[in-house]
Amino acid sequence: MTTASPLELEVAQLIIDAVHLEDINAEEIDPEAPLFREGLRLDSIDALEIALAISRRYGFQLRADGKDNVSIFASLRSLSQHIEKNRVK
Amino acid sequence: MISKTTLPLLRLPPTETSIIAWWQGQPISHEIFLAQVQQVATELPAHRYAFNLCEDRYLFMVAFAAILWREQTNLLPAYRLSTEIQKIAADYPDSYCLTDHPITDLPLPQHLIAVSGTGTLDRTIPEIATAQTAVIVFTSGSTGRPCPHPKTWHSLVTGARLAQQRFQFPQPTSIVATVPPQHMYGLETSILLPLVMGLRIHNSRPFFPQDISQTLMAVPPPRLLITTPIHLKACVQSNLSWPALTMIISATAPLSRSLAAQAETIFSAPVWEIYGCTEAGSLASRHPLESDQWQLYDDFWLSQDETNGCCYVHGDHLFESVRLQDVIAIDDDRHFRLLGRQHDLINIAGKRASLSDLNRQLNEIAGVADGIFIMPAENEEQITRLIALVVAPARDEATILAELAQRLDPAFLPRPLYKGITFAA
Repeated sequence: MTTASPLELEVAQLIIDAVHLEDINAEEIDPEAPLFREGLRLDSIDALEIALAISRRYGFQLRADGKDNVSIFASLRSLSQHIEKNRVK
Repeated sequence: MISKTTLPLLRLPPTETSIIAWWQGQPISHEIFLAQVQQVATELPAHRYAFNLCEDRYLFMVAFAAILWREQTNLLPAYRLSTEIQKIAADYPDSYCLTDHPITDLPLPQHLIAVSGTGTLDRTIPEIATAQTAVIVFTSGSTGRPCPHPKTWHSLVTGARLAQQRFQFPQPTSIVATVPPQHMYGLETSILLPLVMGLRIHNSRPFFPQDISQTLMAVPPPRLLITTPIHLKACVQSNLSWPALTMIISATAPLSRSLAAQAETIFSAPVWEIYGCTEAGSLASRHPLESDQWQLYDDFWLSQDETNGCCYVHGDHLFESVRLQDVIAIDDDRHFRLLGRQHDLINIAGKRASLSDLNRQLNEIAGVADGIFIMPAENEEQITRLIALVVAPARDEATILAELAQRLDPAFLPRPLYKGITFAA
């Protein structure tokens, strides 16, 4: 598992808090593992809750990337990179 | 009593500039739509049944119409999982898949839909036999086999007419829908209303609040938003600004009065709810800020079995009377209230499942000696997820979850799955 950056750890904790994941710590989430369908097995309901948490914490609105949200949410790393690029807070 | 033997595939609205949809950023006229449907219809393979697996809403609508034109039946699986589709295909062998994207893990004949922007404009509107089975919508039942619910063209057109009668949508209304077209709610609203009631549909399926707002701004008023409580809640929490709407309709799960009130405030538009089920389609409406009571659509009526309290809905346009899965209190012959769900049924963010069906799927997994799903008590603060308890000495949690993910919609995956050798009584 690659090492998570400080932002990736912060976003991991945001995900855990937003969707009420139990039994997992932020450090245990592999930054390059899938978030959907495998890995954390998040679904579209989670995506909405995470989007709200992101808008409140980082001050910008998530938008769908093309047909579905797969590439923004492909991994913790891709999501964190998207936040880094778009954050206003 | 059905008085006509056919009904037109399309009803043209009275206005000159008749748009049926916005697709790829462009308005599509009824004429272009018809030309594209005809082009696709002539290229379809000759089979009795066609799985309509188009992801793009406009292409789904073209496919839907082309399938009808060829006197075939649209098959609409509950979930677009390969396992689910193959189970249905085993019961409907004279079938193929009509899709807008190649599906790699599906060993069934696939026909890729292709439309061009040009083509001979055709003003001939085909007539479809009222008795033709237009769609078979499948649900996951407790028996293990997908359960078919056939709908005639007459019943689908009737459903659209009843909705128009109830809501009196102004002409021409622009619809933005967050729901997919392949389930009854999305089919009735985002496909049938444009086809036969003259409304217009924006192709996309916006997801995040910002996308919903942008899509609404991309269509002219009067605007109708077709959505669910979970998206309404996300919109309310987003603090975005919204363009003028005529109405919002919510369905698939009950809308709390407080969320309805917040939504009416931020949208400055009335929020209505539709009640229905796959078996009967949409059958009642209410305005939650006014009343808890549901008002039946015209042409439906209810009856209640005195011995067991079960409630049935009837309509001449239905194949058969339908037993309603909720616990119902009938107030008078046009009004009823919902008292709660029957215990086997769960609803997570608008997606419904039978607990006994979920348990059966869990216990079918190799190596699972015993397993059970539990739905904890729900609260309004957060989405409640299922828990699963499993006895499976030779398999780990991750493997069992992976197997479940092949069989179930992600909304029903347990959080968490507890594995143990024994559980204390």
